[in-house]
Amino acid sequence: MNSKLKNIIPMKSDILRMILKSLVYHRKDAVYQIIIISVLSAVISGSLFTGHSVRSSLKRASLEKLGSTDIIISSGLRYFDPALSEKVSAATGNPAVSILETDGYCSNFSTGVTALNVRIYGTDDTFFPFHGSGSLRIARGEAGINQSLARHLDIGEGEEIIVRFRETDPLPSNAPFAPAKDDHGSVVLKVSHIIPPERGGNFSPGISQQIPMVLFLNMADMAGGQNKRIQANRILVSQVNKADYNEILSSVLTPADIGLSLRTSAKTGERELISDRIFLDSLLVSEILGNIPTGEPVLTYLVNSFRIRDKSTPYSFVAALPGHLYPGIDTGGIIINKWLAADLDAVPGDTVRLSWYDPASGKSLEEKSRDFYIAAIAGDNGHYADSSLMPDFPGISGSTTCAGWDAGVPILLAQIRKKDEDYWNRYRGTPKAFISYEIGKRLWGNNFGTATALRFPSSLSIEEIDGRLRSSLIPSVTGFSISNARDSALEGAAQSVDFSSLFLSLSFFMIVSCLILLSFAVSVYFDTRKKQTAIMYALGFRNSFLRNQLFCESGLLSFAGALPGVFLGYLLNLLIIRALNSVWSGAVQTTALSADFSILPLLYAFSSVLVISLILIFFKSRQFLRQLTKPAGGVMKKHSPRINLAAFSAVLTVFIIVFVCGFTLPDYSTTLFFVSGTILFASVVLLARFFYIRESPEAGSKAPSAFTFQKKYYSFHPSHIVTPVIFIAAGIFALMITGANKLILTDKMLERPGGTGGYLLWAESAVPVKEDLSAGSGRAEYGLNEEELKDMSVIQCSRVTGDDASCLNLNYVASPPLLGVDYREFIKRKAFSFASVIRPGKYTDPWELLGNNPGENTIYGIADQTVLQWGLQVRTGDTLVFRSENGQPLNVIIGAGLKSSVFQGYLLISKENLSHFYPSVEGSSVFLVDGLPELSEFYGKILNERLSGYGFSAISAGEKLASFFRVTNTYLNVFAVFGTFGMILGITGLGFVLLRNYNIRKHEFAFLSASGYTVERIRKLILRDQLIILAWGVVCGTVSGITATIPSLRSGSEMPLGLLAAMILLVIITGTAVLYFSAGGIKSSELISLLRKE
Amino acid sequence: MLELKKVSKSYTQRGMVLGDLDLVVRDGDAIAVTGPSGSGKTTLINIIGTLDHPDSGDVIFRGRSVSTLDADESASYRNRNIGFVFQDHLLLPHLTVGENILLPLFASDIGLSEYEEKKKNASGLMKRIGISPLAGKYPFQISGGEAQRATLVRALINKPSLLLADEPTGSLDAENARILGDLLVEINRETGLTLLIVTHSDALASRMKTHLILENGKLKTI
Repeated sequence: MNSKLKNIIPMKSDILRMILKSLVYHRKDAVYQIIIISVLSAVISGSLFTGHSVRSSLKRASLEKLGSTDIIISSGLRYFDPALSEKVSAATGNPAVSILETDGYCSNFSTGVTALNVRIYGTDDTFFPFHGSGSLRIARGEAGINQSLARHLDIGEGEEIIVRFRETDPLPSNAPFAPAKDDHGSVVLKVSHIIPPERGGNFSPGISQQIPMVLFLNMADMAGGQNKRIQANRILVSQVNKADYNEILSSVLTPADIGLSLRTSAKTGERELISDRIFLDSLLVSEILGNIPTGEPVLTYLVNSFRIRDKSTPYSFVAALPGHLYPGIDTGGIIINKWLAADLDAVPGDTVRLSWYDPASGKSLEEKSRDFYIAAIAGDNGHYADSSLMPDFPGISGSTTCAGWDAGVPILLAQIRKKDEDYWNRYRGTPKAFISYEIGKRLWGNNFGTATALRFPSSLSIEEIDGRLRSSLIPSVTGFSISNARDSALEGAAQSVDFSSLFLSLSFFMIVSCLILLSFAVSVYFDTRKKQTAIMYALGFRNSFLRNQLFCESGLLSFAGALPGVFLGYLLNLLIIRALNSVWSGAVQTTALSADFSILPLLYAFSSVLVISLILIFFKSRQFLRQLTKPAGGVMKKHSPRINLAAFSAVLTVFIIVFVCGFTLPDYSTTLFFVSGTILFASVVLLARFFYIRESPEAGSKAPSAFTFQKKYYSFHPSHIVTPVIFIAAGIFALMITGANKLILTDKMLERPGGTGGYLLWAESAVPVKEDLSAGSGRAEYGLNEEELKDMSVIQCSRVTGDDASCLNLNYVASPPLLGVDYREFIKRKAFSFASVIRPGKYTDPWELLGNNPGENTIYGIADQTVLQWGLQVRTGDTLVFRSENGQPLNVIIGAGLKSSVFQGYLLISKENLSHFYPSVEGSSVFLVDGLPELSEFYGKILNERLSGYGFSAISAGEKLASFFRVTNTYLNVFAVFGTFGMILGITGLGFVLLRNYNIRKHEFAFLSASGYTVERIRKLILRDQLIILAWGVVCGTVSGITATIPSLRSGSEMPLGLLAAMILLVIITGTAVLYFSAGGIKSSELISLLRKE
Repeated sequence: MLELKKVSKSYTQRGMVLGDLDLVVRDGDAIAVTGPSGSGKTTLINIIGTLDHPDSGDVIFRGRSVSTLDADESASYRNRNIGFVFQDHLLLPHLTVGENILLPLFASDIGLSEYEEKKKNASGLMKRIGISPLAGKYPFQISGGEAQRATLVRALINKPSLLLADEPTGSLDAENARILGDLLVEINRETGLTLLIVTHSDALASRMKTHLILENGKLKTI
């Protein structure tokens, strides 16, 4: 050790000893700093711990819901053989299980209590063992429910529930000629198990913090369709070994797994590939034909009639055939069979008119027709006479008579003749006419596919075709998608709403108050060190040394405060989490959050508090030393009342102008009143300042008092008045503005440009409704025949399920539900308003975007601006990638952002695009109802009643919109509560102001004491000053706050006036109490001791 | 007027400062107390002015013991009977000289007529002491001597019967100290106001009727 260092070390230790001795000596004054820094530290660490706890809880909830699931292989809206999971498991060595996820709802059989938002899963014996729940199995006729659903239904084991769900019919009900029969199963089941979360009861792969209501059935009870085949639509994989699931699936997938089958035409010997979905996807057709080029597509369609002149033949099949297999078909004409030629008296060269329901028109059943010239007449026994050309339409092929067809379209029985029945009995659905495939595809190709069969030459064996087909069945083409559910859940939680930042923002007032208090406390502490520091300065210590000494002392105090504070923060976190699970659950939509400890928030909070306080102390110490070392005896500055009065008058004039404008320009009233409130705030502050710095008139009927003279102090120090007045007033002003910002339903929101689009009701159904509720047939179907309903119209929207992207979901969401809407209707009624548009001005109405597809597999979408910003974390112009039903990427460009609307949580696309890219989505699940406002309740009641079988729930559109306000309003409540705490904390700063003023003027008060002023009178002098400051602050904040919120006050009930009054009262009571307490600390003995100097 | 009977006072760190001290002060007396630093001069004045309490003994003012008065009674006693002049002028910086002089009037509620009367009296005093032109000035606008003269007027505003002065000339130059001394002597002579002055200044002490030395806790006459 060199000699220089040897000298430094004892010197440093001496300085440290001095610092510690000084701290011990001034410990009573130091304690304020420690307490305030502890509070600041607790607030910051509490916020950070809350953010950490929320994210941990979200992660835990997501993982708990997934159970053992890592990977989900989904077939979307299609089905596959449950045995596929065994093949995946065998190929990967990973446990895998098939389930069937479907829509539906359930009711308590005894009480009728219904649960609409239920997750329904069809399981087999492997599901619960997969999740580590050993022997738990759901047998046929039984149901397992989770605790959440059991609580909702108030049901126990052994009791019965009614479950209504979509059966696993492979043929989508909206496919052409799908049977009109209701394909929704309804069963009464015994609740065999109430399954706790640890046994997989809360299983749900969706990303949401809410605990779902879950119902488990036996997959066999959900089998639908003609053959009641057990089918699945999801494979859950527990990833023990990493695997490429696309590759695995390609290698194990067989045609039979996805409902494809091969058969041989009895007539031609050709091999034929058909699907239990009837139509074969165009993409799949292309893929197969790419692999087996000798294959040819066939499309057979039901036409309503053939007509030549006055002769007509009803309801017949027409096959569109490939020219390779049927030479002569590509002439552009039509070949008809002999039976039809006889029936129509037709000869080659005649023109026949075909009429059919356009497959693109869906349930609106738009009839189209086209003339064909008759190219030839086919013989009865040729290869055209092939009954296998008719697809196996479930409602038709099994029927014994034409009249008995259930083709999903109206069959006019009067048109069916005996000869038609005879034909059916003899030839079944053998097509009566034939056109080229290319023409047929153009006429009848639809969203479900462009072929009803693929024909292969007889030279290829079934086995050979089957083998070659396997290589064509790549997952993305067969509608499969593979997702890493665990990663998605973790990502959703990791990118969820940042509660750390949120609570730091909500604690803004508390943090500001702490900093103000800390500033006061440091000043008070430094004041106590004034004499000591002055002596040391006089002894020749440099400013830098003195500053460092003060800095080190306060730094040690900061350390002593920050350390316990961060642990207090954890306790605060416990309180906040408890509040979020109870009184503030509106903000998080769950009661399952739990506090979680981690060293990181603790370290962040500790270091940030230390840095913040040291920066503040650094500047305070500089300021203190600057004042201390300033030459004494300077002239005190007297402030000009005239300038103040002029400024006040000018500001008041501006206020009056803006205020009056607020009444005369109603369109801008909110902004104008806010601005006028702010200006009034400034003018009241200036008035307060003027009140203190003006020259008091002396003459009067009363003698002046000590208070008159006391007030003069502030004419030299107006900042001692203005600063606390601004702080108190700003706090109250902010609280009032916050109160006014509470979202409530206004009349404007109920109008067409508002968030409800002017619709009366918003409704959702657990099971899709197929019929058009505005059309006569739909109304007849559901018995909506009342005269009062004649003005009711219903906008129906189809839905592709996804993760809720509304503010009710705290997680980051990548796949929101898609809603297919009739945007033309919105354009027509000028419904809803937009916050942002991708290309402003290009479209008259942003809704038009939905009808303009910018590219193949690329469409426009619209969502609520809040959903874009917070839920999806995207902007207009960004693209979200979805998987369409056939597995292809679907790019949705965000075209516009809606102002707050009932559609929050959804991504809106046109209904045409939805049915194009998701053809299997049946019916409508979301409804907007319009009509006569006075009948709104009646509409809701009737619809709920008549459509109860669909789990239909209609509420007023306003109520739906208001439900989203809960989250914002809860945050505002939290802000108000934290703000009040902050205010109260800040108000205690008035105590510091009082003590500081007292300390600065101690000698003055000592003299007053010597002059005969009692200590009580001195206390009153000081107290009265501070109470007047408090009153100025309260009046300024309240008056300007009221002015700024006049529009809210005028509009009725949105201002929580009671709460605000209570908060202001609390501020007054706290301020008064703090001031009394502080003034009480002024002791006569202390004043007198100042005079006892020898 | 005032009698101190066997008054003792000691402090933990400093030990005994006054020991069985006796003193009798009559109306119109002008007494100077001198003594070395730490001899207890200020303690003596504080005990008489009830700014401090004796450990034992009694202080009797006009026949009434004042050593056991509570805080409020002490304040009232000081306000009505005692005028204080300290070494530092202790003028409130935000008040004019005139306002500073009037300040003791407001230690208790005061009626308009009484206020007007005392204000008139203060005016006369200011004129008499030669500080009338300073009435509207602030303390930072006047000299130390002027400030101390203002303090004297302030001490007299309530017409006290006893003026206690603790080193009144301690912070003044010789000329100003002389002027203040002259004023004190004149006031005593003209009004009969009793003076008890604690000072290190022999020049000031020698101008008083009685000069006492405080030594070893007791007063001795020179």
